[in-house]
Amino acid sequence: MTDRDFEHLYERAGAALRAPASGEDAARERMVQRIRAEAASSTTRRGIALLPWWAAVAAAAVAFAVGLGTGRATRPATVSATRGASGAADLAQRPVEFVFVAPTARNVSLVGDFNGWDAKATPMRRTDGRTTWSVAVPLPAGRHVYAFVVDGDAWVADPQAPLAPEQWYGQRNSVVIVASLGDRRL
Amino acid sequence: MTDEALVARAVEGDVDAYATLAERYYGSCARIARRMLRNDADAEDVVQETFLRALRAIKRFDRGRVFRVWLFTILVNQCRTAATSRKRRQLRFTDDETALDRATDERPTGVVEETSAVAAAVDRLDPLLREAFLLKYVEGLEYGEMATITGAGVSALKMRVKRACDALRPMLETIYHD
Repeated sequence: MTDRDFEHLYERAGAALRAPASGEDAARERMVQRIRAEAASSTTRRGIALLPWWAAVAAAAVAFAVGLGTGRATRPATVSATRGASGAADLAQRPVEFVFVAPTARNVSLVGDFNGWDAKATPMRRTDGRTTWSVAVPLPAGRHVYAFVVDGDAWVADPQAPLAPEQWYGQRNSVVIVASLGDRRL
Repeated sequence: MTDEALVARAVEGDVDAYATLAERYYGSCARIARRMLRNDADAEDVVQETFLRALRAIKRFDRGRVFRVWLFTILVNQCRTAATSRKRRQLRFTDDETALDRATDERPTGVVEETSAVAAAVDRLDPLLREAFLLKYVEGLEYGEMATITGAGVSALKMRVKRACDALRPMLETIYHD
């Protein structure tokens, strides 16, 4: 027998798992309530965020190897994360500049929990016309997990930054901590 | 109203439109999260966090993308993160909660039994295989969409689905032949 002969089994299993779970309607309603509360809260925060909020400062630089086309580490590349700083309101976001040196990359993008891990959301640009890619992203204070996507398919952690402890089935990502604007330890 | 129309309104700040999208996709997200985390309470937390993150990012949504695929990308990553952090916490209450769910489940007995048996079989799969099987056979996604969601290549995903099916086959034959 071929795999196709068993296809009906898998389809039937899939249909069984599509059956609504007990209590799902109540959970859905709780979800909608949280969305409305979040939206109301966000509206309030936007009013505060009109305050002046940042001036950039530089931070780290790193060396790393990435083999473009194969996704394997074979050649030095450089990554840096630059944290913004300011003495303004603590509720505002601050710019974080991500820099990645990848000489043979055709394109590089930044993915993270701040952009829904969307490889199309935050493309990086060549800043020196050749090897260095960068992008600045406004981030709120706190912990953010991120990675770089090279040529659309090679997911690369920032070797200069701390690795996130969570490992997604073998995939490691990096962490950047954005200090609150009132924190002088930047 | 189509997803595209609702997304267009949500991008402009229409909370009702976004809430409609959330209601529309809550079920899909919840069943993926339940099977990936094997715990209803954790799954509800992850689904809520997924929709809140999507809400915060909706203004940057690329309208050339498919909303469901974009949403599932966030969900899958949230599930992966939650699975890892839960492992660190070493919670071990799944059996009790499952028993409680069964005790209060008002669905017909046959439906509950079939769903529970299939869920138990799927739960035994390696997480990557389980994830691929759920996206393919439960959500009916194309391999290209699955690649976008998981970050894996199409050929790797086909192999994961095949391995999942091979592992499930004897268990499903037992379930459906009994």
